[in-house]
Amino acid sequence: MITVEHVTKTYGKKKNSFLALDDITFSIPEGASVAILGKSGSGKSTLMHAMSGLDRPEVGSVHINGHDILKLKQKEVDAFRSHTMSFIFQSFFVQANESCYNNVSLPLEIAGVPLRERRKKIEAALEAVELLDKKKNRARDLSGGQKQRLAIARAIANDPKILFADEPTGNLDSVTGKVVEDLLFNYNKKKGATLIIVTHDDDLASRCDVQILIKDGKIQDIKRKGKK
Amino acid sequence: MRMRDIVVRAGRSLRQAKARTLLTSLAISVGAFTVTVALAAGAGSQSYTNNFIKSNGDQSALTVIPQDRLTQDNSQKPMKYGEESESTNGQGAFTKKDVSRIEKIDNVAAVIPEYGIHAEYVARGDKKFYADATIKADRTEVALAAGSLKNGDVKSGTVLLPESYIDSLGFKNAQQAIGKNVTLRFVGAVTSPYQLPEKLDKTLKIAAVSKKSTTMVQPQATLQLSVADGKEINQFQTKGTSREGIFSMLTVRLKNEDKLAETQTEIESKGYSVLSLKDVQEALFQFIDIVTYGAALFGFLAILASVFGVINTQYISVLERTQQIGLMKALGARRRDIGRLFRYEAAWVGFLGGAIGTLLAVSLKWVNPWINSQLGLESGTELLKFEPMTSLILVASLVIVAVVAGYFPARKAARLDPIEALRTE
Repeated sequence: MITVEHVTKTYGKKKNSFLALDDITFSIPEGASVAILGKSGSGKSTLMHAMSGLDRPEVGSVHINGHDILKLKQKEVDAFRSHTMSFIFQSFFVQANESCYNNVSLPLEIAGVPLRERRKKIEAALEAVELLDKKKNRARDLSGGQKQRLAIARAIANDPKILFADEPTGNLDSVTGKVVEDLLFNYNKKKGATLIIVTHDDDLASRCDVQILIKDGKIQDIKRKGKK
Repeated sequence: MRMRDIVVRAGRSLRQAKARTLLTSLAISVGAFTVTVALAAGAGSQSYTNNFIKSNGDQSALTVIPQDRLTQDNSQKPMKYGEESESTNGQGAFTKKDVSRIEKIDNVAAVIPEYGIHAEYVARGDKKFYADATIKADRTEVALAAGSLKNGDVKSGTVLLPESYIDSLGFKNAQQAIGKNVTLRFVGAVTSPYQLPEKLDKTLKIAAVSKKSTTMVQPQATLQLSVADGKEINQFQTKGTSREGIFSMLTVRLKNEDKLAETQTEIESKGYSVLSLKDVQEALFQFIDIVTYGAALFGFLAILASVFGVINTQYISVLERTQQIGLMKALGARRRDIGRLFRYEAAWVGFLGGAIGTLLAVSLKWVNPWINSQLGLESGTELLKFEPMTSLILVASLVIVAVVAGYFPARKAARLDPIEALRTE
C-alpha cells in the first residue's frame, strides 16, 4: 500500500518559483499496476521521484507499507530503496562498458547481497528477460530493446516490491516496446509487485489497473479499472 | 556496499579507461622511479662506503697517535722553540707508561702497541723472498682468498699471507697453502761493531690468505703476524737500542663499542690524539644522506606534480560517469559508497603508478655489473641497492597520496543530486 498525501513541491525561489507538484493525494493498493499519465513538464517524473524518496518535497508525506519515507534519514531512505524498489529509465542507463552480468550485479552489490546468492539471482533475472546467453557480452553490443530488457533484469534481480518505470518504451519501436511492456506486467502479476509506470502513452496506460492523470502539477483524474 | 565489490568495480572502471589510467599512473611512476633510484643509490653508496671503511680499518677500535710535536698541547698554535710542552704524552712516540695510563680508562679492554718489526725474508724450503711483515693489531676485515680469521685476529704462531706469495712459495692455490708452514727470518739490532747481529727464525703456520680488494687503499702485500709474536720479535729487534719500549701508535680495543665516542673524549682529555674511523664513517654517511635526499626531493616534486594529474583525471571521470552515479544512487547506493568508489579508483591509480615506477627502478639492478665494470669495482658490489621494504613503503604511501588527491573529486561524486545526474544524457 502506497499512500501519497498533500505532496507539494516547488522549484526556484519566490518570484520565479514554480509549482511542480500541487497538493497531490492518492493511494495505490499493493500489487497494482499504476500509470502516471501526463504531458512532458506536467510533473509526473517529479511525482515518481517523490514517491521513491529520490526527491524530498518539503510538504506532505509518502507512506510505503507504513513508513513515511520523507521522514526517514538519508541513510535509511537509501537502504529502503535498495531493498524494496527499483527503476527502469527511458534511456536505459545500462553501463555500456560492463558485461550484462555485471550490470545486473550492481543493485545486488549495493544491497550487500552475499557473493554466493548473487550468482543465482543474476542468472534468474537474465533468464527472465531471455538474455542469459548474453551474460558475458558487453552492454554496448546490445540492441535498444535488449538494453531495456537488460535494464529490466537489473531492476528485478533483487526482487523489489515496487518497480518504477520512467517512459520505459519511449526510446523503442512498437514491437520491442511491446516485449518490454509484457515483461513488466509479467513481473507485476507473477510476483505481486507494485508497478508504477510514468508515461504519456495512452495505450500503455490503459493496460494498468490505475491511471493517474497529472496536469500542471495537479491530479486531474484517477481512473481505476472496473470502476468506470 | 561491500569493500571488495567497490574495489573490484573501481578496478574495472579503470580498465575501461585504459589510456587515461595508464597516463595518469605514468606521471606518478616518474616520481616513484626517481625516489626509488635515489634511495637505492644512497643505500648502495652507504654499504659500499661501509665496506670501504671496514677493509681499511677497524671502526670498533680507536687509534691513538702521537701528538704533533709542533703544536702546543691541544691548541692549534705552534710551540716556541726551546719550550717544553706541559704534558709529554705521546709526543712523537709512546712508552709503556702511556699504555698503562690508557688501560686505566673504564671502557678500555686492551691497549695494543704497534710493535714495529722488520723481516729479512720469508722462506719455504730453500725458496726465499723479500717480505714485509707487520702485526695485525686491529680487527680490520680482510678479504680472504682462503682460510679464516676468528674475530679478525691472527692467532699466535700463525700468519696471514698475501695472495701474491702463493705462486712464489710453490703453492698451487690459496687453499693448498692453509695449514702449511713458512719461516720468517728476523735480524736483531747491531749493538756492537765487533759482533754480527743475532738472527731469529720464526716458523709460522699459514692461517689464511688475503686477497687484493678494490676497496682497500693500501696494497696489502704484507705478511701479518699476531700481536704476541710481534711483541716478541719487536723486543728481540730493539733490545739494547734507543727504540726499545717505544711505540709509534696504539690501538685501543673497547669493552663496549657503543660508548666509543665517550671513551675517545676521555683518552683525548688525557692529552692524546685519537683517530676514530667512526668519525670518518659518520661524516661520509652524512654526506651520502644529503645527496640521496636531495635526489629524492626531485622525485617528491614529480609526485607532487602528478597529484594534480590525479585530481584532474578523477574530476573528468566523475563528469563522465554522472549517469552511473545517478543510477547507483537511485538504486540505493549511499554517499559513502560512491565516495569510496572514486577514492579506490584513485588508490588503484596510485598503486599502479607506484608499482610501475618501482619495478622500472628495480630493473636497474641489472645495470650494477655494468657500473662495476665501468668504475672498476669489485664484481658483486651493488652501487644501486634496492630494499624491498623501502619499495613497499613507497608504494603504500603513493596509494595514500592518490587517495588524498582523489578526495575532492570523490566528494563531488558523492554529493551529486541523483535526479540531476539522471537527467544528464
